[in-house]
Amino acid sequence: MSPLDNSLMDPPTPRVTLGRPADYLHEAHTLRSWFFTTDHKRIAVMYLFAITVFFVIGAIAAGLVRLSLVVPNGAIFTSDTYNKLFTIHGVVMVWFFLIPSIPATFGNFLIPLMIGAKDLAFPRLNLLSWYIFCAGSLFAVFDIIIGGVDTGWTFYAPFSTTFSNTWVVPALIGVIIAGFSSILTGLNFVVTIHTMRAPGMTWFRMPIFVWTHYAVSLIFLLATPVITMALILLVLERSFGIGIFDPTLGGDPVLFEHLFWFYSHPAVYIMVLPGMGVISEIVPAFAQKRIFGYRFICYASIALASLTFFVWGHHMFVNGESDTAALVFSVLSFAVAVPSAVKVYNWTATIYKGSIRLKTPMIYAMGYIGLFVIGGLTGLFLATLSINEHVHGTYFVVAHFHYIMVGGTVLAFLGGLHFWWPKFTGRLYPEGWGLISAVFIFIGFNATFFPQFLLGYLGMPRRYHDYPPEFQLLNIVSSVGATILAAGYIFPMVYLVWSLWFGKRAPANPWDAKGLEWTTSSPPPAHNFVTPPVVDFEPYDYPMETPGDAR
Amino acid sequence: MPADAAAGIIGAPVGIETLAHFSNPAQQKRAGELGMWAWLLTELLLFGGLFLIALVLRYQYPDSVHAAASHLKFWIGATNTFILICSSLTMSGAIMLSRLGGQRWMVRCMLATAALGSLFLVLKGYEWFADWQEHMTPFLPGPYALDGDTPSRLFVNLYFVTTALHGLHLTTGVALLLGLTWMAKQPDFLVKHQNRIEIYGLYWHFIDLIWILAFAVLYVVGR
Repeated sequence: MSPLDNSLMDPPTPRVTLGRPADYLHEAHTLRSWFFTTDHKRIAVMYLFAITVFFVIGAIAAGLVRLSLVVPNGAIFTSDTYNKLFTIHGVVMVWFFLIPSIPATFGNFLIPLMIGAKDLAFPRLNLLSWYIFCAGSLFAVFDIIIGGVDTGWTFYAPFSTTFSNTWVVPALIGVIIAGFSSILTGLNFVVTIHTMRAPGMTWFRMPIFVWTHYAVSLIFLLATPVITMALILLVLERSFGIGIFDPTLGGDPVLFEHLFWFYSHPAVYIMVLPGMGVISEIVPAFAQKRIFGYRFICYASIALASLTFFVWGHHMFVNGESDTAALVFSVLSFAVAVPSAVKVYNWTATIYKGSIRLKTPMIYAMGYIGLFVIGGLTGLFLATLSINEHVHGTYFVVAHFHYIMVGGTVLAFLGGLHFWWPKFTGRLYPEGWGLISAVFIFIGFNATFFPQFLLGYLGMPRRYHDYPPEFQLLNIVSSVGATILAAGYIFPMVYLVWSLWFGKRAPANPWDAKGLEWTTSSPPPAHNFVTPPVVDFEPYDYPMETPGDAR
Repeated sequence: MPADAAAGIIGAPVGIETLAHFSNPAQQKRAGELGMWAWLLTELLLFGGLFLIALVLRYQYPDSVHAAASHLKFWIGATNTFILICSSLTMSGAIMLSRLGGQRWMVRCMLATAALGSLFLVLKGYEWFADWQEHMTPFLPGPYALDGDTPSRLFVNLYFVTTALHGLHLTTGVALLLGLTWMAKQPDFLVKHQNRIEIYGLYWHFIDLIWILAFAVLYVVGR
């Protein structure tokens, strides 16, 4: 361009600046800059949007299930509608909320920050995982809502292959597609943790959060393909009658259950381990105390991820398993309690004599520990063969796994969301509302699910909406609890969004927490650190030397 | 071979162009290779489910499986095994030449690999066609050769699922290889992207390995 042209142009307007270095949120504003981003932090935020949508869908279905169970005669919905409702709840919550919840959002956002990397090892693959997840999950959710599926989230043969007259095949295809997103996310994490650590970041200097995500990624890699294959065979069974799971041709429906639980039991640890990682970050920060038995928690994470591959048979104690196999699976299931208990004791010992600050994340963490203990102990009941015989397929099982999945994972998710909200958004959430909603969730959760232990022990089977009238009182208590729980979920959706515009600006380290993610600004710049970090300190070296200094 | 002749085939500069989020080429190379190994581990468990079912069927219905397996075209399977092993040899040649900087012969080795892979697919397609002609396709409507023997259907169907899944992997593999070959012809390819050949090579060897396992489990055991 010649000088003459230049003189004819308008004087340049100065770019609008923020008065601080541009962070990952303000680097670019177009939709394109979000949908084609390869920044792990932006992809994490996109996952957060997606799973929140699925959480709302799954929660509405749960609310309708609880509504139906208020009356004993099943008068509110037809049996078919009820079956479709609990299938929506199960499929959406398990496959599209719980499994991606903490790994895909916090894991994506925090692993590179915590190990001092600029990004995950494969940023484009990370974006692809998000698209695969959205494609598979939207397809499946469309099918189970518009078409309706009545198999439950477990898709057991031969009901799913021969008898169910609903949209099973499209829903299966959606779940299979979404599975590849898990695999690719796990692959990305494993490679990132192996190869992208900052200088000085040895394995035993990594936060427990990273350790648990490493363990989870191994499960993603080793377990997900097995269920992918099992579900592909289910699709082929339904479409071509290949017979492998069809008893009329000599096939074995229990074989499907084996393949299914070979993934789906480890999947429990896909949901639990990341939550344990979150709690292991929150507890030392709010007790201002070095985490108790750091190495034991690391080993316990790997032990859980390994043991979980050898306990799948405890889902089939009454489904024609031999006595010997049942005994072995029972013993191995007891063994899982050991590393779980190691973690609980270590968190408790960390809190003991700490300088405790009861902020929202800490309330969630302490709620988590209590509820996880109840969920874990009832797991031991269920692993006991004689008790399992009694409560198999009852509400006792429903209550047990909700104590682990909701009392565990969802509380950890919400605790982590509050803990890292300043890092994600650069804003502080309103503390008072945070505490109120945490208390609502704790009370609502227990009111919802504790009666279900009693119902199950008294013999109310799961998946029925027509039950004897003497169970009505406990069912009403449970449904009332669900409304309190729902309020506890709605508050954060409102005040967290509110805080995006009106919350106080967050400093780099609002909690006096240790860890590399708190050394960079809130929100972090595009490549995470202005100067690449070098690690010459041990993890969790609490207490903070100069509290409030970073604020 | 005289030194100047060798210099014409090999000896061009080789390297990796580092992406922004890696701190050095060694890190990037290690990440790429580890990523492919992790993917292959996943694939192994994907096929593992099918191999497990094959063994369960052999254990439950040994006679029916034997009857079904003896209908499989052993010699086509064996020829295909040999073809894939040869293709792994040419792929290894491509990897070795990529390390030494012999771009032209590397591309030729890759084309040979793709050709052998395609030959496998042609033979496999012929085998399926022959199976169909012999009424060994119980998942399709129409007559079935072993009609009185119901459990044999399960094994034959499993054979089709396994070989089709492997065929899908091989088709993807050939398509990726042709795309990579087209990229590898560009003049500065080896200077920037030598690691892609190594990473892709892992995948190709893996498809070969899976076929060897499938051939053993489906065709050979108890023959």
